[in-house]
Amino acid sequence: MIAVNAEVLQLLLLLSAALFSLGVYGVLTRKNIIGLLIGLELMANAVNINLVAFARHQGGTAGQVFTLFTIALTVAEVAVGLALVILLHRSRRSTETDAAAQLHG
Amino acid sequence: MSAFDALNGVEILAVDGIVAVGALGLLLADVAMPAGNKRILGYCTLLLLALGFTATFTLDLTGTALGGAYVGDGFAIWCKRIFLAAGFFGVLGGMDETARIGPRRQGEYYQLLMMSLLGMTLLAGARDLILLMVSFELMSLPLYAMAAWGGIGTYPKRKGPLPSMELPAKTKWHRPAEAGLKLYLVGAVSSVVALYGISLLFGIGGSTRFDVLARTMNAGPVMSLAVAMIVGGFAFKIGAAPFHMWVPDTYQGASTPFVAFLSVAPKAAGFAALVQLLLGPLAGHTDTWMPLVLALIIVSLLVGNLMAVPQQNVKRMLGFSGVAQMGFGLMALLAAGTVAHTSGQKSEGLATLLFFLAAYMVANMGVFFVIEAVAASGRTEDETADEKDSDDTLAVFRGLHARSPGLALAGLLFVLSLGGIPFAIGFWAKVWVLLGLWTAGYGWLVVLAAALSAAGLFYYLQIARSMYMTPEGDLPKVTARMELGLAILLLALLTMAVGLFPGPVMEAARVAVGLG
Repeated sequence: MIAVNAEVLQLLLLLSAALFSLGVYGVLTRKNIIGLLIGLELMANAVNINLVAFARHQGGTAGQVFTLFTIALTVAEVAVGLALVILLHRSRRSTETDAAAQLHG
Repeated sequence: MSAFDALNGVEILAVDGIVAVGALGLLLADVAMPAGNKRILGYCTLLLLALGFTATFTLDLTGTALGGAYVGDGFAIWCKRIFLAAGFFGVLGGMDETARIGPRRQGEYYQLLMMSLLGMTLLAGARDLILLMVSFELMSLPLYAMAAWGGIGTYPKRKGPLPSMELPAKTKWHRPAEAGLKLYLVGAVSSVVALYGISLLFGIGGSTRFDVLARTMNAGPVMSLAVAMIVGGFAFKIGAAPFHMWVPDTYQGASTPFVAFLSVAPKAAGFAALVQLLLGPLAGHTDTWMPLVLALIIVSLLVGNLMAVPQQNVKRMLGFSGVAQMGFGLMALLAAGTVAHTSGQKSEGLATLLFFLAAYMVANMGVFFVIEAVAASGRTEDETADEKDSDDTLAVFRGLHARSPGLALAGLLFVLSLGGIPFAIGFWAKVWVLLGLWTAGYGWLVVLAAALSAAGLFYYLQIARSMYMTPEGDLPKVTARMELGLAILLLALLTMAVGLFPGPVMEAARVAVGLG
């Protein structure tokens, strides 16, 4: 196993920051809700990389336990999201965000 | 050291236990029960929530549990009361609408509501990053499903795919779905943003426990980034501007009794989470978060009050009014943080926040229930809430004082309370928040907030004018059904009673945060 010293930690944090930014870009630009959910997933994985990197750097198990919880949270969140996408698809036959734009002032 | 040491003090989780066991029990009962009389599940939920609410008074819930990850203090207990009361009124006022939307699947709704409440009650005492995030998500996930719940089961049966993408001019079944989707997308993204910030906090402090974090964290650019992401993420949840875009759409699209619940309980929980973090491990780093909170306050007050004025849909208008109200809540937080920073003392700020959240809960739920009562009386059995777009415009209130004097009076009371007119409960909440802010040295902000609140009266009074000063025309008489009427009556009594005698409740809030 690779020892996570300060240099490796820095690289991992940069990786996670890049992944997070990619996810944000995806969420902001995608017109399809499935694509949007994928962006969300990228952001969540950036969080996981952060937590695991910190956990290995500092030792101890708290960070790894935290990661398990965030993985479970993300899965639950995406499951609810997909249910909502199915609901939208049933009524509008589309998964584009434009299909859900009837509410406005 | 035995394996059961971690369970020491677990009895302070009694209320959460009632809610958790209740939620699972409802799930089982829902499966076991014949389809005909699911309404009983609603009454069971009411009973459970009343039981939990009573338990916050009769049991001693102070102490530490789960090895220090969970702390029961006055603040947490008071928060739990607000959540449970909001849940109680949400179920009571929404019973008819829930039964109408999904007569055979109402059990789901109550079960989701209980799960969401469980997340909130756990959140109120969380002193650990993991518990904080898990309970926060447990609160949020059911809400997404509940917002879209009105869209279930009513979509027409079709054989084969639709011939083209062309939609009928009026699609009646998708407004709740859209509301749920918007709430979900914003909520999920904000959760992940807050989570990223929290992962950075964990990296800086090296622990998930708040008391350790308070000692080990050092200020720096990474911490500023983490705090910004956390404050931004939670600001989405409480619907403070500029993170408020989901608020009006979700309020307009989702079923009104659910909006009554959504507009108060999760927001109070968002405040509980913010207080936990900002006045806990970050209390020593007020310079990182105070400017952000200050910016949120100013933008919320401006956007909320100004954008509410042109709205014709009452639910959208109340959405924006809620944004402005969140500005007031954040002001209490700001005052509490300032006092904690300068003198290191417990401050009245937290007490004012608790009182404000309770006052907002009572008046805001009341207004939404009055809207529901008016809309429901013009609705036929098989008609969905979103069939008529005119359902919730200001026009439906025309001449309400002649169509139903009681409802009009209650509506007037709630609106005046939200607007901060003496002597309703909301007046004392606003005055107390502003006084605390003045003491904390934000005189200019007090002036700004008072001025914008006065401007806000304009749209609150528009509702009152519609009810009292316009002729009713040929609009029918309105009678609220029993449960809804009872909810409105109770809320109106609370608004009036606490408005006339605010002293004991304020004193209780002060005691809850360890003052007096």
